[in-house]
Amino acid sequence: MAEAIAKLFMKEAFPRVLKATVWGTVTFLAVYWLPMMLYPTDIFPLDYVTPLFQFATIAVFFAVAGQLFSGTVIGCGFGVAKSIVVIAYFFSVSDGGVFSVSLPISELTVNLAVDISVLLLMVVSVNLINIAKNLLAAIVLLTEKSTNIDLT
Amino acid sequence: MKIAVRMLGIAAIILWIVILFFSVTAVYSVMNLGINIGEVQMLPSSNGIAFSLPFAITNNGYYELADLNLTTRVTDQNGTVVDITETFVPSIPRDSNVNATHTISVDLNDILSMDHVSLLLNDGSFNVEIFAGLNFARAVPVQLSTNATIPWGAPFAHFSIGTISVSPHNGTHVEARIPVSFENHAVIELTGTLKVEVYSNSNELITSGKASINVPSQQSYADRLLGYARQQDASKLTGSGKMHVIFETPVFVVEWWEQYG
Repeated sequence: MAEAIAKLFMKEAFPRVLKATVWGTVTFLAVYWLPMMLYPTDIFPLDYVTPLFQFATIAVFFAVAGQLFSGTVIGCGFGVAKSIVVIAYFFSVSDGGVFSVSLPISELTVNLAVDISVLLLMVVSVNLINIAKNLLAAIVLLTEKSTNIDLT
Repeated sequence: MKIAVRMLGIAAIILWIVILFFSVTAVYSVMNLGINIGEVQMLPSSNGIAFSLPFAITNNGYYELADLNLTTRVTDQNGTVVDITETFVPSIPRDSNVNATHTISVDLNDILSMDHVSLLLNDGSFNVEIFAGLNFARAVPVQLSTNATIPWGAPFAHFSIGTISVSPHNGTHVEARIPVSFENHAVIELTGTLKVEVYSNSNELITSGKASINVPSQQSYADRLLGYARQQDASKLTGSGKMHVIFETPVFVVEWWEQYG
C-alpha cells in the first residue's frame, strides 16, 4: 500500500511539484528580479519596489497554483481567479487608470499624473481573454470527463 | 473547442508580449529623454518686461512626444491673475531635438492699471503655477504641475517724503525743497523722471518739483526735489496736504498719492 502511494506520488505529484517550483522560480525572476536588474531603485524617484513585489507575489502564487493543478478544473479556477486579481490589482495601483504621484524636487513639489488607461485597457483585455480561455478549458475538461467511458 | 482554447491562449500571450514590449520601451524612452532648462532671462519689451525661459528637449527614445504644452499662471498675493502664458510644441519626433522658449510678457501698463500701487511700494511675492502636459506616444497623456513663489522687490520700497523746507527765492516766489527717499528693491534699474506735485488740503496745486533719477537695483535714493511756490502759499507747504507722485519712463508711467504733514 505504502509502495503504491509512493509510486503514485512519484508518478503524479512529484512532477507537478517540480514543475510548479520551476515555474514559480521563473515567474519570480521574470516579474521581479529582471525589472529590478534593468531599473534599479535609484533610477526613478518613485517607490515602485513595493507594488512590483506585490505583483510578483500574485504572479508567483498563481503560477505555482496553476502548475500544481494544471489540467484540472481547479487549475482553470485558479486561472480565472488570477485574471480577476490582476485586473483588480492594476485598477488599485493605477487609481483607475490615472497614476498620480507627488515628487519633491529641490524646493518644489511636482505633481505628476500619468494617464495609463490605454495600458490598463490592454491589461483588462488580456485578462478577459484569459478568463474566457480558462472557462472554455474547464468546459472541455468537464466534457471529456463526462464522455469518457471507463471500460475497466 | 480545444483549438479555441489554444487560440485564446496564443492571443493572450501575444497581448502580454505587446504590453511588456510597450512598457519596457516606454520606460527606456523616458530614461533617454534629455531636458535642458536654460536660465531665465529678463529682457525689455515694447510694453514692459519679458521673462524668457529657454528649454530644449532631446527625444532619444522610441516614441514621439506630442502636444507638449507649458502654461504658467502668475497671480499676486490677493489671487488676482497677473499673467497666463502658454507655449505649445505640436510634436517632438523620435531622434530629434526641439528648442523652444517660454516667454512671459509683463505688460506694465496692464499691471499698473490693475491698481497695483502696493506692488510699487511694498515688497511681496507672486505665486507662479506651472502646468506641463504632453502625450507620450500619442497613447499616454502625462501632466506635471507645480507651484512656486517668486519674491517681488518693490521699486519704490520705503518711499517717504520728509518735511518740506522753504526758503526765499525772489520777490514773488519761495523755493521749496521736497526730501524724497526710497529703496529700489526691484531687479530692474529705475531710470526716468520723478515728479512730485504738492497739493493743499483743498486740492489746490501749490508747487511741483521733478528730477531725473537713475537708481540701480538694490540701491537707495535720497534727494531733495526743488519746487517754486508763490510767497503767499509758503505757509501751506509747511502744513499738511497730499502729494501726487509721478514716475515716467519711455515705457510706462506710474503715479500714486501720498499724504504729507
